[in-house]
Amino acid sequence: MHIPDGYVDLSIAVFCAVLSVAVLSVAARRVGGEVSDARAPLLGVVAAGVFAAQMLNWPIPGGTSAHFVGGAFAAILLGPHLGALCLATVVTIQALVFGDGGLVVLGANVFNMAIVEVYVGYAVYRLLAPYGEFRAAFAAGWLGITAGALTAAVQLGLSSAFEYQLLTTVAIMGVGHLVLGLVEGAITAVVYRYLARARPDLRPDAVSEVAADA
Amino acid sequence: MREWLPKALALLLALTLLAPVFGWAAGQVGYAEPLENAAEATGATDDAESTVSAPLPDYAVPGLGSAMGTFVSAVVGTALTLLAALVLGRLLGADADAD
Repeated sequence: MHIPDGYVDLSIAVFCAVLSVAVLSVAARRVGGEVSDARAPLLGVVAAGVFAAQMLNWPIPGGTSAHFVGGAFAAILLGPHLGALCLATVVTIQALVFGDGGLVVLGANVFNMAIVEVYVGYAVYRLLAPYGEFRAAFAAGWLGITAGALTAAVQLGLSSAFEYQLLTTVAIMGVGHLVLGLVEGAITAVVYRYLARARPDLRPDAVSEVAADA
Repeated sequence: MREWLPKALALLLALTLLAPVFGWAAGQVGYAEPLENAAEATGATDDAESTVSAPLPDYAVPGLGSAMGTFVSAVVGTALTLLAALVLGRLLGADADAD
């Protein structure tokens, strides 16, 4: 899902970059008061965990492969604003250090994976959490990554390199990630359930207790 | 130092050790993402430009084999991300103190 340079028209890349900077600035402001000394290490560990987990390409027989992106996972664990900043950090390092995703399209990649996936995933989680956290986390990962893939497909489908074949890009990426997203949903739900049981104090609603502990 | 931190770091190291294993397995089935399939379907593949300025392009380390390169990339990337996010967390926290 990391778009390389050359795929997206410059105007679209610039538009997405401006949008991403705007959303992340709001996120940074919103989150400012919430990052206690106890929460800062959690941000670091979740970001590092998401980076490491993204390197694991799950082989899927039939010639395709997917890796966990973790946007919804970070949103559930850290809250949406800190989750967005967390994923933006990961996506930026991937582009700068490893050339995974282009530099000109960095804003577009941040928009898809660190903003759309994070906020859509979080919204789905909040909406479904009353019906069971495990199911909600699964749906959040699944639909979050599909939403991110769809915005990527729109950026590509409106670009000249893809001959403006919007329907083709949306169909291939939308359907592809709707299927691969099941892996994302499963990992999100299983890891979240494990963490919630092992460390209930890490849950976002337990922030004050952690702070009191420290 | 919070008591869960050493455990978390051990988990991160375990994930980096898995990276070459998964890389090998994904290679066995032929790695292709929907993005690449869409590029092929519309003839965009040749328009992709690789980022030449990246120090470790494609998670490979010049002079190291594929498995070792992937592992070193995973360790370097995970450590850098940890550091960057910790700094970000401190900056955001400092903002909170200033308010």
